[in-house]
Amino acid sequence: MIRKIISGNEAVALAVKLARVGVTGIYPITPQTTIIEKLAEMKASGEINTEIVRVESEHSAMAATFGAALAGIRSFTATASQGLLYMHEMIWWVAGSRTPVVMVVGTRAVGAPWNIWNEHTDFTSERDSGWLMAFASNPQEALDLTLQAFRISEDERVFLPMMVGMDGFILSHTKTNVIIPDQEDVDEYLPPRRQPYVIDPEDPVGMGNIFPPEEYMKLRQSIDLSIKNSEDVIRELGMEYNKKLNVLGDYSTLNVTYKLDDADYAVVVMGAWAGDTMEAIDKLRERGVKIGMLRIRYLRPWSEKEIRDALKDKKAVLVLDRSISMGRGGPLYVEIKSTISDIVPSIKGVVSGLGGVSVSKSDLLYLFEKFLQGIREDVLWYYPKEVGKIELRTPRDIE
Amino acid sequence: MSLGLREILNKHNGILSGTSACPGCPENMAMRMLGMGLGKDTVLVVVAGCSSVIQGNAPYNAYNFPTVNVAFAAGPATASGLARAYRQKGKNVTVVVWAGDGGTADIGFASLSGAAERNENILYLCVDNEAYMNSGGQRSGSTPYGAITTTTPEGKKENKKNLPFLMIAHNVPYVATASVGYPHDYVEKLKKAKQIEGFKYIHVLTPDPYGWLFDPSKTVEVAKLAVQTCYWPLFEYQNGKLEISQESLHCLDKRTRRPIRDFLSIQGRFKRMNEKDVQLLESYIDQMWEKLKSML
Ligand code: SF4
Repeated sequence: MIRKIISGNEAVALAVKLARVGVTGIYPITPQTTIIEKLAEMKASGEINTEIVRVESEHSAMAATFGAALAGIRSFTATASQGLLYMHEMIWWVAGSRTPVVMVVGTRAVGAPWNIWNEHTDFTSERDSGWLMAFASNPQEALDLTLQAFRISEDERVFLPMMVGMDGFILSHTKTNVIIPDQEDVDEYLPPRRQPYVIDPEDPVGMGNIFPPEEYMKLRQSIDLSIKNSEDVIRELGMEYNKKLNVLGDYSTLNVTYKLDDADYAVVVMGAWAGDTMEAIDKLRERGVKIGMLRIRYLRPWSEKEIRDALKDKKAVLVLDRSISMGRGGPLYVEIKSTISDIVPSIKGVVSGLGGVSVSKSDLLYLFEKFLQGIREDVLWYYPKEVGKIELRTPRDIE
Repeated sequence: MSLGLREILNKHNGILSGTSACPGCPENMAMRMLGMGLGKDTVLVVVAGCSSVIQGNAPYNAYNFPTVNVAFAAGPATASGLARAYRQKGKNVTVVVWAGDGGTADIGFASLSGAAERNENILYLCVDNEAYMNSGGQRSGSTPYGAITTTTPEGKKENKKNLPFLMIAHNVPYVATASVGYPHDYVEKLKKAKQIEGFKYIHVLTPDPYGWLFDPSKTVEVAKLAVQTCYWPLFEYQNGKLEISQESLHCLDKRTRRPIRDFLSIQGRFKRMNEKDVQLLESYIDQMWEKLKSML
């Protein structure tokens, strides 16, 4: 175990190395690029023995990663934004084939218009695909969750691909202290790859040809069931991770709470905002306000049990979204509302931080105060700065 | 069969009984011959098209190879991943992408070009029936000038995209053309390709009775006529050298070519063509042969 000051992207690359990934499909897209650059660098210096397939598009990056996984090799890829959307078709193909694959998404806004900065909409838009979806809140967690993703997706109770999200630039490029586990410990935690079937002339099978309707529907149901069942698997393997590899976090739960037990009010967040949220909560606690936080670490599986338990006796809940499901508010807000609307009297949402809009600790504090006073809107679009008078209707109006 | 094919066929039949192919299907024939040429230790990647239907419904599979079906544009990249993984495992497996003309000339071209540029150790097979036959016969980039399709009822106004030439331009180790009318030539090319390390491309003309509008009993005859009239050249390109195959040698001299009308009139899809259209198609073929000659 060593301690190093590295970025989230570097932490992910190290996790890929430690997981002894056999094939990596790579294609550059900001802000994920430095992950694949680091992998290429490690390959060139002989530090890793991964096959790197330098493909011509993200669609092919997912396809090549899928092909390698089908042949029985642990495989990895990373992407962001338009790249994730370009992969969309293959993402479904991998899940439908029930093939374990791990991917990291450095989250970023989706065009048009071009915007390279952070938001979660690319990530959240994949929530119906059949992948397990974790979201890191710091570089350490990005490393830990990537390692766990290999173990979880290759567990026979799951056998589904898993993606790990991390806030683009905010985590991908910010360097912090990260504890890197030893190879021997990782080897002990990560057994040789298991998967439901392998494409190999020694055991010829045909996969992916036409399914009759009822069988197709049964397969879809089996994926739905596996996602639900993966909840217990994640806790179990998380505890094992705690024991064998972890010195900092706690992975025995899917989601994370902060000062929530005795709280009357709760804020729900996902990703890097958690840090600022906790500081804002501390400020309010000093003033005697009983407020706490629930951080969603797993968007899929969605732990209804943990979330209901955590929020059951709260007077009001505020959900922060760095993502928007057009016409319905933030995706987290929609999910939380459907989970707790029968047990929490007031559930409000804030959509902010889209396209890299910077929301500071003091902005959060302002929002929480507003929430405590009782905001009128169900979902508030929050701009930290004074917004100019011109309302944009089409991109042209910016002129 | 006097060509010794029966003997090879007994070793590994590429296709089993119970396919969902139409009667007289050329792709069925091409798949049977694939077994003859490659034998076992072959893995198939099949993209959307007739070939993803011909194999039948799960749990049955009429292809006698381990088979992965993937999205339309994903064939060459999926095969790249498989081939890299077998290399990591130290296994000798021939990874084949099996795609139609739509998957090759249109939607899958970027992925094909990428895999060729990386010189992946895969064999790419384009079974070209010159339209999107599985969805009912719409034009593709590989449909020839003048052909009627469901989206070009007036006859296509553009020439066929010359994929073998495009693949030669990628400078890969092996590019060849074949026709299901000449199984011996095709099987020999498959066998040769199997021995070569790196990216191999074979483009097989597969005349489709339903889209080309001829009687299903005539598939082989049409496939032969395509070669005899020099519409479809048979050649091999290896180590930077082009070689015209035996069956096409007569095309090098325009005087010994069989008239193109013999190919056009045996099928219904060219019936809208007038005299000028035939001349335009002919000049396209002439140019193709001039180009081939210049590469010899
Ligand atoms: S449409 Fe043509 S290629 Fe497709 S299955 Fe029928 S005969 Fe074969």
